[in-house]
Amino acid sequence: MIPPFAAICLFLALWLAMALPAAAHRLDEYLQATRLAIDMGRVDVEMDLTPGISVASNVFSWIDTNGDGRISQAEGEAYARAVLRSAVLKADGAAMPMKFEEASFPSLEEMSQGVGAIHLRATAAIPAAAPGRHQISFLNMHRPQGSVYLVNVLVPQNKRLQIGEQRRDVAQHGLTLDYTVSGDAPLDWKLTLLLGLAMAGCLFLRYGISRRRTVVGRTPRSARVPPDPLF
Amino acid sequence: MNKREWIILMALTAPALNGGVTVKVVQAANAFLATLSPAEQAKGTFAFSSGQKTGWSNLPTGIFQRNGLRFGDLKPPQREAALKLVASALSREGFQKVTDIMNGDEVLKNAGGGRTGGQPSRGIRFGLDEYYIALLGTPSASTPWMIQFGGHHLAINVTLAGESSVMTPSLPAAQPAKYTLNGQTVRPLGHENDKGFALIQALNAAQLQKAVLNYEVKDLVLGPGNDGRVIQPEGILASELDASQQAMLLDLAHEWVGILNDEAASAKMAELKANLPKTYFAWSGATKSGGLAYYRIQGPTVIIEYAPQQGDLDHIHTIYRDPTNDYGAKLIKK
Repeated sequence: MIPPFAAICLFLALWLAMALPAAAHRLDEYLQATRLAIDMGRVDVEMDLTPGISVASNVFSWIDTNGDGRISQAEGEAYARAVLRSAVLKADGAAMPMKFEEASFPSLEEMSQGVGAIHLRATAAIPAAAPGRHQISFLNMHRPQGSVYLVNVLVPQNKRLQIGEQRRDVAQHGLTLDYTVSGDAPLDWKLTLLLGLAMAGCLFLRYGISRRRTVVGRTPRSARVPPDPLF
Repeated sequence: MNKREWIILMALTAPALNGGVTVKVVQAANAFLATLSPAEQAKGTFAFSSGQKTGWSNLPTGIFQRNGLRFGDLKPPQREAALKLVASALSREGFQKVTDIMNGDEVLKNAGGGRTGGQPSRGIRFGLDEYYIALLGTPSASTPWMIQFGGHHLAINVTLAGESSVMTPSLPAAQPAKYTLNGQTVRPLGHENDKGFALIQALNAAQLQKAVLNYEVKDLVLGPGNDGRVIQPEGILASELDASQQAMLLDLAHEWVGILNDEAASAKMAELKANLPKTYFAWSGATKSGGLAYYRIQGPTVIIEYAPQQGDLDHIHTIYRDPTNDYGAKLIKK
């Protein structure tokens, strides 16, 4: 039995959806866009979930479980955790639990206009990868009926990580990617240049001093400036 | 010449040294500001470092609340001065594209966008009155400032710093993608569509295998709200294209780059050309003209996406970014 207030909210949402033009906004799809950020020992997962106008009331009702027309912190967190349970993250073939970090939710009105996005952030600790080739895979099976998916990996901030081949299914439910961990952190070019200049400076100084010593040592007696007789 | 005379001379010659375009844009900005009352000036101007910089969207009024001066609230001379300012920062073709996008939104409004059964929808408004202009910082030929102009399906962010100007991030979009105005067929993003298809059709089988993604991309990946994010590039490297195909790729990118004034666009195109060996072209969807397709151009200093929305060829979103220089980040550091 749907609580009366929830029924009113659902009716309002449906009315809003019907009253809006079939233009400009997402309509009957639930867009689920995921970005993965890989670092040494962790993967950050960010998801933007945007329900279209005609599915907004459904999505809202999944989250607003007590039907009071608002998404409480507990309801939001419960939904975010449910989304994460529908997704699987694997590192080198082993499933890694994703830890919920934070989530934000739009109002019913925003959602009903097809523009309110749910933002969800989670993180997964993965074993510290040894140098060499590794693999991360992510699969999102949250509400597959009527959903469209995007999943991408960000260029790693850590220079030791290099993303290789990426493979997705047609609908982008999932992404499997290879990446390589290099043995040593490559030197920053500015640091490399600085070190190079410092070494060149040292060599120059050393060479200059030794040359001066050599020249002084080789100067014939006759060519030397005679000591000032006054001193 | 004493120190004071030297400073005066430098101040007088600075605009000339800083390039003609910026000077013209500054003049147009000052002319626009002169048409405004103090209250209007206060409403339409922001500190350069303010959060307004990222306060843009592709969404219509009623869903996204823009700050700045609404065209519908401006008197005709003010509106004209505002458009002259926008035009001064853009190329002739770029300003035409902007105008075509805006007129398209007016067509959408007149076709019932924002109304259902003849009744206005709840607060959602389309049309020419719903474009906003804002200035961030003080118009100057030497110090950084910004013009922000946009509305439904349009976000133009031009940052000027000395003789340089950049237009990233910006979002030109279109709905309808084709309409008739004064007996003329207008396709605001027609070149972006046609040149994209021409390029993909110019690739051979081996190149297609690399360029065409084997999955669907149903929206922009780096749309509004994704400032600073760089995804791992995919597709075919431009270094694997022949000279003619590379020229086609550059010409395609120019559809976005060339919205900005010719001087700045030339500099940006030279940068893109230099970065071609590290630039990718990715395609998803039909390769036959008239089909539904998404594409992306991604290089060290550019990300361009073209994405039809929800399977609708008459509703296109695009985005133009420079991950190293959005909002003129590099210019400001100088």
